[in-house]
Amino acid sequence: MCGISGMINAKNVAHPLYASIRNLEYRGYDSCGMALLDAGKIWTRKNTGGVEEVNQRERLTQLSGRLGIAHTRWATHGIVSRENAHPHLSTNEAFAVVHNGIFSNYQDLREELEAEGITFCSQTDTEVFVQLMARHYDRLQNTERAFVAALEQMEGSFAIVMISVHELDRLFCAKRNSPLILGLGEGSNYVGSDINAFLEYTRRAVVLDDDEYVMLTQESYQICSLRDGQQVEKNILHIDWDAETTRKGGFAHYMLKEIFDEPQTLRQALKIPDEEIRKLAQKFAEAPQAYLVGVGTTFYVAQLGQYFFSQLTGRYFPAISSDEFIDIAGVQAQDLVLAVSQSGETYDTKMALNFARQRGAKTAAIVNVMGSSIGMQVDQIIMQGSGPEICVVSTKAAMAQTLILLRTAVETGRQQGNLDDQQFDSFIAAVDRLPDLIQDALNEQSGFLRNIARSTSWVPNWLFLGCGQYYPVAMESALKMKEVTYQHAEGMPAGFLKHGTLSMIEKSVHSLFFVPLPEQQDLHRRTLIAMEEIRTRGGTLAGFVFKGDRHAYEVLDYAVELPTVHPWLAPLLQMTMAQLLSYYAALDLGRNIDKPRNLAKSVTVG
Amino acid sequence: MKAVILVANYSPRLLPFTATRAKPMIRIAGRPILESILNGLHNAGVHEALVVVHHEQQALRDHFGNGSNFGMSLEYVEQQELLGIGHALSCCEPYLKRQPFLLVYGDVLADGNPVPQLLRTFAETGREVALVTLPRNSNEYGNVYLDNEMKIRRFIEKPQGRMQSNYVFAGGFVLQPRIFDLLRQHGQSIEACYQYLVQSDGLQADLWEGTWIDLIYPWHILEANQMMMSAWRTAHIHQSARLAGNVQLEGPVVIERDVVIESGAVLKGPCFIGEGSYIGNNSLIRTFSAIGPDSVVGYGSELKNCVLFGRSDLGRLSFIGDSVIGEGVSIGTALTTVNHFSDGKNIVVSTANESVDSGLPKLGAFIGDRARIGARQTMAPATIVPAGSFIEDNISLRGRVPENPKES
Repeated sequence: MCGISGMINAKNVAHPLYASIRNLEYRGYDSCGMALLDAGKIWTRKNTGGVEEVNQRERLTQLSGRLGIAHTRWATHGIVSRENAHPHLSTNEAFAVVHNGIFSNYQDLREELEAEGITFCSQTDTEVFVQLMARHYDRLQNTERAFVAALEQMEGSFAIVMISVHELDRLFCAKRNSPLILGLGEGSNYVGSDINAFLEYTRRAVVLDDDEYVMLTQESYQICSLRDGQQVEKNILHIDWDAETTRKGGFAHYMLKEIFDEPQTLRQALKIPDEEIRKLAQKFAEAPQAYLVGVGTTFYVAQLGQYFFSQLTGRYFPAISSDEFIDIAGVQAQDLVLAVSQSGETYDTKMALNFARQRGAKTAAIVNVMGSSIGMQVDQIIMQGSGPEICVVSTKAAMAQTLILLRTAVETGRQQGNLDDQQFDSFIAAVDRLPDLIQDALNEQSGFLRNIARSTSWVPNWLFLGCGQYYPVAMESALKMKEVTYQHAEGMPAGFLKHGTLSMIEKSVHSLFFVPLPEQQDLHRRTLIAMEEIRTRGGTLAGFVFKGDRHAYEVLDYAVELPTVHPWLAPLLQMTMAQLLSYYAALDLGRNIDKPRNLAKSVTVG
Repeated sequence: MKAVILVANYSPRLLPFTATRAKPMIRIAGRPILESILNGLHNAGVHEALVVVHHEQQALRDHFGNGSNFGMSLEYVEQQELLGIGHALSCCEPYLKRQPFLLVYGDVLADGNPVPQLLRTFAETGREVALVTLPRNSNEYGNVYLDNEMKIRRFIEKPQGRMQSNYVFAGGFVLQPRIFDLLRQHGQSIEACYQYLVQSDGLQADLWEGTWIDLIYPWHILEANQMMMSAWRTAHIHQSARLAGNVQLEGPVVIERDVVIESGAVLKGPCFIGEGSYIGNNSLIRTFSAIGPDSVVGYGSELKNCVLFGRSDLGRLSFIGDSVIGEGVSIGTALTTVNHFSDGKNIVVSTANESVDSGLPKLGAFIGDRARIGARQTMAPATIVPAGSFIEDNISLRGRVPENPKES
């Protein structure tokens, strides 16, 4: 996972280019660099560290030139070092490239080139490409033909942008299996891994497909196919995301901002036309079997979906973690596989979908990022429209995905006749109130959550417990806690506790309970049993309870009392509260909240 | 930009200390609260302030003067009658040009400086801005509802009987001069003006995510003291201080001008020894102790998590823990402040009109200014000694000691 950016302008691009990799930093941040073309020469600066840090040391913004490329890296091949940072130059310094993806055959090509006497200065796959490019140019004396020839030899995935001393007013770029988007400005053009690279400068974008390459000048662009060299016409998208929404807007961290965005995100998810939901529901109703896939947070979203479908349609559609999908899912032709992915670039999920397609299954996806490769591949795509999610830890996107799955399950239930009109109408009425309810809860509970976080942020081991549909919420919330606080939290069904884990309970082991509504009598009773099991062994209990639940409230050492809500929506409310709790715990511990260590926003490698 | 600092109010809940001083003159981590506020303003590039005074104003005026010792230019405005914040602010209108200004409440402290971000948010949005924060208990304050653009969408002053804990106004604002017109329209009620701003086009919020303390009860002095001292990272010892041999120092210890520390003393930082103080042989000054200027700590005494405002004498072989001692207090030999109950329960404090659970399992005594305490005293947790009290030798004190203005 890396962020790449390129731009061409009438003026110096150093500052906007720097700003663009600042905006892409969430895609990776272990090293970065920029290369600009000026006075017939390529000037490169790069180093290890975050974008701001590298700029302080290398003064990236002091470069000058009308066209340039930039990169922010998250290492997959080769150690994190200055040499391995992008951009990479050919030995003759005639070409510079930035690359996101993996050239899988780079070892063989490197050996060939080394045999010809070319010395490499990095261990990266990317340098192989740029050296190869230089060699082809020497032979062909034509940049475009050399670019295509070099790319023809490369296997694997790439989104690549190149500048050359032979091309004083053109940028070259191409993609296969890694994202790349053009931005069309006035007297300036842009290319980047996603729209955050240029959202400040233009709203007009062209999403590139696999095996396309582009020659980009200040005033024009030409997209051609790598396969046959034919020119390709493409639609121009107008990006309606407000540039403001991509920034923090006064919040200290994107995570908090994105949690406060949730009411708006849910409203967007409710605006997805009924028609699209009906179409998806029909696929579920018709499919002999359906599977819900996701990985990380989206797996838990899929698990919640599994409960929704089971309760509302009486059918069991297993949720499977994308990375395990191939091993376990006995997918048949005509089955349905629904993938959930914020970025739409998640490698494991893409592989699961590829597998499903090979088996002849139908595919669908809920995706947030426009123009992503998963979105391009599936039979039906639902764009969740949550706006950019910058914090590495997913909050608002997961909420929207959950609501969309719930809407689909409700609709499927209705189509199958499991749900009568009255049940349906009461759901619709409740779901319309949900955004405001969450807005108020975010405000009214913040102080309580902060106080609990302050008192418990030291806790190194948490058990997060819930049963029924609250179990996936416990799992997701535990993941959130781990991601952002680096403290251990284990999610578990409440009824599972006594079958082993109970042995570790003592005072310092804290548990967080996702207590169902009292009206969900069976779930509520089972949860209370687990609470008692912990209490009698001296464990410390925290929990989310709904208003009027005296019984549960009294058992808890730390309780957060939530307003009563429709039972199908209760998990969403608790999920939000747990996100806030993790946020304040991480704040108390001084964690790097928006970019927790070792994590990247979307994992595009296997 | 000019600042308006409100320090006029009288706070009976902070007795005995506010009987004899304005609240911002309470010393936290060795400095009056107002000094920390002025530092924050100065560091944010605000060098002019109007200080609205009333209660016990003379000592405050004497201490801060025209502000030049603090890098500030200060003017004082007297609020003739304590008729609320809106009224206090109105008193400043003649002294402010029709320009935006900072409004700062003089009794809140944060573990950092919120002023720069407050000014930045104002500059970025051009809207009136309110600093908001999450306190421990938000029922005491104006609760606000934020939206995803950090605009305040709703405002409820001191919500009663509702289970809620919102972000609250944290005592820092950037306001436009129209506030004075609004005050006139709304009968000098600042709450009504805030309400108007929120309802008309959403007052902009600026989030303070650090720790924030509003001093309401005397034990908040100890909490604020801990908060401020926790940020200390380095020790400072003035070159004129005289430390005898075998004085042991650990951690961030601040020792000011002309301090004398005798042999065998142990100081564990963070702690503060104010100008001209004397620390006797074999004393133990433990973490979060702030000893104000010109104090004397007698031989073999132990101090732990306590604030002494200054000019107090502490007799030999005393123990002062989790306590606040006013200015000019004289304590005889061997005072013991008992700072917890053996059952470990939270300590409930009986103030003038109410009993309040401090939420703290350890709390000692609160001794007002110029109290004179005889020898061999034992004080139960949360003993409050009014300013100017005279207490004979060898008595055990408990609870709130009746007023005893026997100042001889």
